[in-house]
Amino acid sequence: MSDFDSADGAPAPKGHRTQKRQRVYDDSEASTPRDSSPDELAEDRPYRSSKLNTRQDSGVRRRSRTSDASADELDHTYNRSRSRSTSPGTPRSPHFATDAPSPPTYKPLRLNYKQKYILRGHRKGVAQVRFSPDGRWLASCSADGTIKIWDASNGKHMRTLEGHLAGVSTIAWSPDSNTIASGSDDKAIRLWHRATGKPYPAPLLGHHNYVYSLGFSPKGNMLASGSYDEAVFLWDLRARRQMRSLPAHSDPVGGVDFIRDGTLVCSCSTDGLIRVWDTATGQCLRTLVHEDNPPVTTVRFSPNGRYILAFTLDSCIRLWDYVSGHCKKTYQGHVNTKYSLGGAFGVGGTDGFIVSGSEDGDILFWDVQNKKVVQRVSGHEGVVCWVDTCPGRSGTIASGGLDGTVRIWVDVENDLGVDNLNLDDGADYARRDSTDGMAEVKVENREDGYNDTPRDDISVDGGEQRTEQTLPDEMEED
Amino acid sequence: MNLSLTDPFTLAQDYPESTTGSLRSGHACALRFNRKGDFLAAGRADGIVVIFDVETQGVARKLKGHTRQIQSLSWSRDGRYLLTSSQDWKCNLWDLQDGSIVRSVRFEAAVYIAELHPWNHFMFVVSLFEEQPLLVDASEPQCVKLNLPSAPKRGLDEKVNEKTAAQDAKQATTVSVFTASGKHIVAGTNKGWLNIIEVETRTTIYSTKICQGVVIFLRLTSSGRDIVINSSDRIIRTIQMPNLSGDPDTIDIEVEHKFQDVVNRLSWNHVAFSSTGEYVTASTYNNHDIYIWERNHGSLVKILEGPKEEHGVVEWHPHRPLIAACGLESGRIHIWSNIPQQRWSALAPDFVEVEENVEYIEHEDEFDIHPQEEIHKRRLDLEDEDIDVLTIEPVKGLEEDDNAFRMPVQLDLQDSEGEEEFVAVGRG
Repeated sequence: MSDFDSADGAPAPKGHRTQKRQRVYDDSEASTPRDSSPDELAEDRPYRSSKLNTRQDSGVRRRSRTSDASADELDHTYNRSRSRSTSPGTPRSPHFATDAPSPPTYKPLRLNYKQKYILRGHRKGVAQVRFSPDGRWLASCSADGTIKIWDASNGKHMRTLEGHLAGVSTIAWSPDSNTIASGSDDKAIRLWHRATGKPYPAPLLGHHNYVYSLGFSPKGNMLASGSYDEAVFLWDLRARRQMRSLPAHSDPVGGVDFIRDGTLVCSCSTDGLIRVWDTATGQCLRTLVHEDNPPVTTVRFSPNGRYILAFTLDSCIRLWDYVSGHCKKTYQGHVNTKYSLGGAFGVGGTDGFIVSGSEDGDILFWDVQNKKVVQRVSGHEGVVCWVDTCPGRSGTIASGGLDGTVRIWVDVENDLGVDNLNLDDGADYARRDSTDGMAEVKVENREDGYNDTPRDDISVDGGEQRTEQTLPDEMEED
Repeated sequence: MNLSLTDPFTLAQDYPESTTGSLRSGHACALRFNRKGDFLAAGRADGIVVIFDVETQGVARKLKGHTRQIQSLSWSRDGRYLLTSSQDWKCNLWDLQDGSIVRSVRFEAAVYIAELHPWNHFMFVVSLFEEQPLLVDASEPQCVKLNLPSAPKRGLDEKVNEKTAAQDAKQATTVSVFTASGKHIVAGTNKGWLNIIEVETRTTIYSTKICQGVVIFLRLTSSGRDIVINSSDRIIRTIQMPNLSGDPDTIDIEVEHKFQDVVNRLSWNHVAFSSTGEYVTASTYNNHDIYIWERNHGSLVKILEGPKEEHGVVEWHPHRPLIAACGLESGRIHIWSNIPQQRWSALAPDFVEVEENVEYIEHEDEFDIHPQEEIHKRRLDLEDEDIDVLTIEPVKGLEEDDNAFRMPVQLDLQDSEGEEEFVAVGRG
């Protein structure tokens, strides 16, 4: 079976880390004894939700189906698309720099991201993590069928949203950061109140297969959804009505995204096509396809809306100029042949970078211009499915992986990010920066992926943290 | 940002060609687009005001506060406030942030039309049934109502004898609107006079008899440079606004175009300018058609056919070639616009649409065989262009302000009233 199963049932390798782990924000339900290790939860206890017991199928698990013995037709499509691909295994780019930021030739983009928090609680792999548009919250969705909301500034667990009958593959924030939409393998799209954690009464039903990708329109009135049923739907969120069905692709739709002014939607599929749609008329305006036709798993518009970033299963990320229809940049160095990985655009200092996870457990940062790997960090055990950058304050990213953890990373190189954090955090960074360097953290991580000692050192305040922990889960924020 | 991908021939089309759908919520009888063009307010016969999202064609908000038919609607510049006037003798000023009534002003007579000041959403002008028009300052909860004159300004040489005085007393303002600066009010009377009133002094600084019948409706272009007048003498007139800031004695108003149907002798229910002011559209009395004239030569360019129904209020979208009109009988809002053809070359990137056969000339190296690695390397080496993924280029004509008002999206708007609420009939 796939490597996923090991990460699936037990998100952590066995170890005697209970002592160290106590300070990690554990979001297990309020009824759970506070001092119980999440490992026990994951390994021994049956899942709390009986629904989850019966349904083994899950969002992330699906991503590993190609290697699954019990292949169904969806595997077939993946295999077919892959066999069509003629590209060689894409060896690591020769530009690729291992550790330190590569010596910049014409541009001094320097990044130094370090792990700040490990957020545990998901019982299975995390498919997506998304910062809210105001930068205050972080949402993660997992194959265990739940969505969790965390405070982005201190990693505190706020809410667990339960209700889906199967793994959740995708989440999206409304522009006002008050609503979360989630798409699941139970074919439903649900909307949730962020503050209360309650779902809106009626889910959006209409897809005939797993919902795989969601995107909110910038005004918040529409939602685009991509599904394994090969269609892209546009929903009128106020009426919960399917507004438009775009006859999008001939294979499962991997990703959808709205442009910043909401006039265009892009979608991609394992058939290797990226299509750009006019929101107002529902017509296809452009199709992008690479010669090798590798399956496209995720698409994202650039922050200014002029380019489309596409993640393909030939271990490449391509930046397309969709107006001219040409591929402008190819970013390589990570491993991506099996899972739908996702990344994001970020800003380091004044320059842009692209960040993505990798199937070898690393997170890579590329300079947008010269395509070089600026930084490479590791921490996750197993595939890093999704990386997102914090919109409000640059210098913060979050990652989620098949090991069931969500991690928050902070750039200690560019002061910009630290300045925008609150003062406590800033002081902590300064301290950490002086005490332990990047290399040291990496070593620790390699030895034991869950070593939280450095994290505790840098945590906001020991005492404060303890009080927070004693608070019940259903804490009312705002 | 879809403009760069849209067919230029579609963009060149200035006015709508065919009916493309309809909106429905109760019986609509008044319409108005907001300035940005993303919302359409519709006043219903039962006094409810419905705000449609133009993008989704769904109801974005329902405003309940009037008990009789809505007469007119007026948006504030930022789209946050909406002034409604109704046959229940009231004007309500709504805050669309939360859908509350900011001010409710009651008058001594039914309101014809109420129009907001272009810059100050607490000031508006109302034209009342058989009453003097009022300038209302609602900045305080206790609204200040100021009388405006209806009598035309007589020249100094003109003797104010008893006869003219008696005539002037019969003058009643039927419609009044602010100019673009908000410093003046243009008012039309039931005797066909057009008065320009200075807001500050509330005196008429210029008057002219513009038509024989009653002035039914006045509307300015979004730039405020032109004004269109619908009158009961079956003629639609357009006028270029003179400079009002100078000496009032130098003001001169001349009719630019007269639009009429001399064959059928049609009357016009309602008129509107196109987004740029280049076109004028009108709905017809006792007839199903919507007429469109262009203003360069003053010629009729299109008669829109649609549902077999007489239309009342007609409105043109502020940016797009899209016309909305409400049917008098059904209360539906009918939409005319253009739906471009799907270009099949957009679906297959390696195809192009050509007008005629093109002889294909093979490139010298087209079928040369290179090792895959070399092709890849060459391709990657070519990617040396400077790419800017961050800088947001300002869109021409549309000032985008991050602080601009955005109406909150109500996701729990589920108060159905049993009746068929709205059915958007459009291309799926």
